[in-house]
Amino acid sequence: MLSKSLAIKVLNEALATGGDYAEIYVEKTVSSSILLENGVVESSAKPQLFGVGIRILNGVRSVYGYTSDVSAKSLLQLAHQLAASYSEERKITVASIAKQRVKAVNKVDDPCIDTPFSEKIALLKEASEIIRSVDPRLVRIQTIFMDTYRDIEIYNAEGETGKLFVTNEQRGRLVLVAVAAEGNDIQSYFSGPGRADGWHYFKNELNWRRIARETGEKAIMMLSAKECPSGRFPVVITNGWGGVLFHEACGHPLEASSTAKGLSVFSNSIGKQIASPIVSAYDDGSLPNEWGSNNIDTEGVPCQKNQLIKDGICVGFMVDRLNGRRINMAPNGTSRRQNYQFEPTSRMSNTYIAAGKDNPEDIIKDTKLGIYVTNFGGGSVDPVTGEFNFSASEAYIIRDGKVCEPVKGCTLIGKGSEVLMNIDRVGNDLCLGQGNCGAASGLIPVNVGQPTIRLKEITVGGRGGKLE
Amino acid sequence: MNSKAFFEIAKSEGIEQSQISIVKLRRFGFSIFHTEIDSYTISETQSVSAIGVYNGKLGSCRAESDTKEAFRFLAKGIKETSAVIEKEEEASIFEGSPKYHKKNVYDPSVLSVSAEDKIALAKRLEAKLLAADERISEVADVRYQEIDISKEFSNSFGLRLKEKGCYFFLFAEIVAKNGDETKTSYGVEIGSDLAKFDEDLFVKKVAERATEKFSGEPCESGKYPTVLDRTVFAELLAFFLDACSAEEIQRHSSFLVDKLGERVASSKLTVYEKPLEKNIFFTYFDDEGVATQNKTVLKHGVLQTYFHNRETAKKAGVEPTGNGAWTGSRFDVSFANVVVKPGKKSFDDMILPIKDGVYITELAGLGTGMNIRSGDFSCQAEGFRIRDGKVAEPLNLITLSGNLLKMFRSIKEVDDRNKLMSSSINCPDVYVSSMNIGGK
Repeated sequence: MLSKSLAIKVLNEALATGGDYAEIYVEKTVSSSILLENGVVESSAKPQLFGVGIRILNGVRSVYGYTSDVSAKSLLQLAHQLAASYSEERKITVASIAKQRVKAVNKVDDPCIDTPFSEKIALLKEASEIIRSVDPRLVRIQTIFMDTYRDIEIYNAEGETGKLFVTNEQRGRLVLVAVAAEGNDIQSYFSGPGRADGWHYFKNELNWRRIARETGEKAIMMLSAKECPSGRFPVVITNGWGGVLFHEACGHPLEASSTAKGLSVFSNSIGKQIASPIVSAYDDGSLPNEWGSNNIDTEGVPCQKNQLIKDGICVGFMVDRLNGRRINMAPNGTSRRQNYQFEPTSRMSNTYIAAGKDNPEDIIKDTKLGIYVTNFGGGSVDPVTGEFNFSASEAYIIRDGKVCEPVKGCTLIGKGSEVLMNIDRVGNDLCLGQGNCGAASGLIPVNVGQPTIRLKEITVGGRGGKLE
Repeated sequence: MNSKAFFEIAKSEGIEQSQISIVKLRRFGFSIFHTEIDSYTISETQSVSAIGVYNGKLGSCRAESDTKEAFRFLAKGIKETSAVIEKEEEASIFEGSPKYHKKNVYDPSVLSVSAEDKIALAKRLEAKLLAADERISEVADVRYQEIDISKEFSNSFGLRLKEKGCYFFLFAEIVAKNGDETKTSYGVEIGSDLAKFDEDLFVKKVAERATEKFSGEPCESGKYPTVLDRTVFAELLAFFLDACSAEEIQRHSSFLVDKLGERVASSKLTVYEKPLEKNIFFTYFDDEGVATQNKTVLKHGVLQTYFHNRETAKKAGVEPTGNGAWTGSRFDVSFANVVVKPGKKSFDDMILPIKDGVYITELAGLGTGMNIRSGDFSCQAEGFRIRDGKVAEPLNLITLSGNLLKMFRSIKEVDDRNKLMSSSINCPDVYVSSMNIGGK
């Protein structure tokens, strides 16, 4: 997309005023989406995004600029404008660029972007029909397929020889929404399996027919769900998507973008116990073809498996180049951004609590009175105080070790530092769930994950009065 | 490149009708941390979005440039995306409204302030925040951003509309510590004239908001008379207005289905949408090129209108309301400049009759805790207890749960403290007779 000779010129322009690191991020993305309402194709789109981001670091200072005008003149002008923020002698002159080897984490032979709309529509129509056949009270069914294909070039330099990384990212996601109505009550259910994989995965490997049926069934079930009780009591959280609790309560505060400035509740926690001793946790952007995986991060560092918590002890952060300089830690492949319009920073990829020893059925069996949360809307956190929330869209009362009636509309809140210490059971059924995470460097695809876990006690907010 | 060139290319490709929107965006921003510039961003982008009708179906495409090559790419994209559409309704591009209420709201004064002066202002804010209270231990972020935007809309019927905007956004977040307790608070200011920004008032409010939170505890779970700060009410009102979307109504996906002309809120509540109000949210045409109009949405609690684009209006047999919004693949609706008619009582008078209640000042997680279709919500909250008609001790880590329709019907009073917020909603504080609070 950019010639090496132009890249050298731009890097040198950027480094003219004393910057010690310069980077050019070139991105060309084609996205595609198709939406069916009640089995009828209502809209489709195939937009393109093409632009360049330039960043110059000088110690722990950073300047960033981006443009959709990728001409040589525009890029040199942007580099010049950015360099004007520094006023030191040149430290680095880039003489050459060496292309780096990028190991493929996500091997994709059949990118979804190349699959004709007609094939996607056929799958979406069948999924819609499966949902519709569940119950006549389903008044609206949306079936959507969206995918992106992104070509990326990263040029960076902190010495005479600059580096070039060439990679691509490709993802697909099936989104199923069922809306059920009865009288004045309207409930809905959402499923959104996604993966950094080709069309064959969605067509042949993903059990989308089962997911479609369950989406319809769950929407209907929510019509009869009672309001969730409120108060403090034990909560069992399902595997997979349940990991959104860890994502909010612990993941964000362990990003160097929070810890490096001493602002996170976990800033000085390396080597300290921050979770129950039965908890170990990882962020792993190198799991092949997973929703949050990439070959390299947006600074060219290979994605890797980073342990965050070992037996309750904090052992690592997610570290990007800039924040790594602040805390004297090496970048570990976690620098991410939504697109060229965002300056990168440390973010999660596939973040999960490792499998424990308990049989998930036993965890429920051993819970006398509490709730079992099985699906979530998402959540948020203040990394400074550690106060977090996440909303449960599907939950059940547990009485005498048995899963009983469904409840709806509840929020779980607490402090990350307390809730991690409150985990008293960890199941052996680890799996991952897909979501999109919004933070400083934009909206990015992430997997959350965990086995079934139990919290001894947490504050639950709902409208159903006391838990009985 | 002239957009006429696009219409010629589109026509030659068999695209009967089309529209093109060219948005140019210039941004400048920086943040300050520990008296140094922590980040510094400049950008210039262009987005060219084209929509067209091919064989009676709507297609679209987006690119960055407005060259002939880009126009050909856009035309190809329109044909490709329209080819699969199965909707029976014949698509069309809007020819134009009889009258547009164009006003000049473009105030580029912020662009003439030097970057050095803006950086100096941010550094001053950081210093003042740190000095405002000895318990303030960190200024986590002082962030400045300005946006200079121009939008050119044109269609194959010869309609040409232009809009420009320029505004700044200032954000500061602080950390306050008292023993083992850590509290945060933030402030946001949005406007077009930096000279009108009151630094000291901003600092005072942000500092107070953090330090007032110390010793906050959850209260007992239960139902309480609840006062919602205007910032909190604005968040809930935005969801209520989302449910006024005719798109959602016609798809049976809103709790306001079949509620037109009915009382859906307390008689104390009158809500207008005023896109033609002269401020930074002013807009005189929507994404379909329909002229916007000021309108009453709720009159003494009675629902007066849904928000329509051309397609939903046609289905409902009414005129489009100028709320059409392009999502990237189809037209939905949106709203701008919502104004809630203020009440007559002051905040203090409004809460005077409350013997034991809560005053909610912040919400977190409402985006995921809201079921927009049923109006049920549950999220994290904080604020204060109200005892004997006065704001009393702080409350922390509680939940607020309810149903929008029930809540809006239970509004007992609105006070006189209107404020325009960055969400383009201008509303007062409200007193709701009873809401569910989760705590101990």
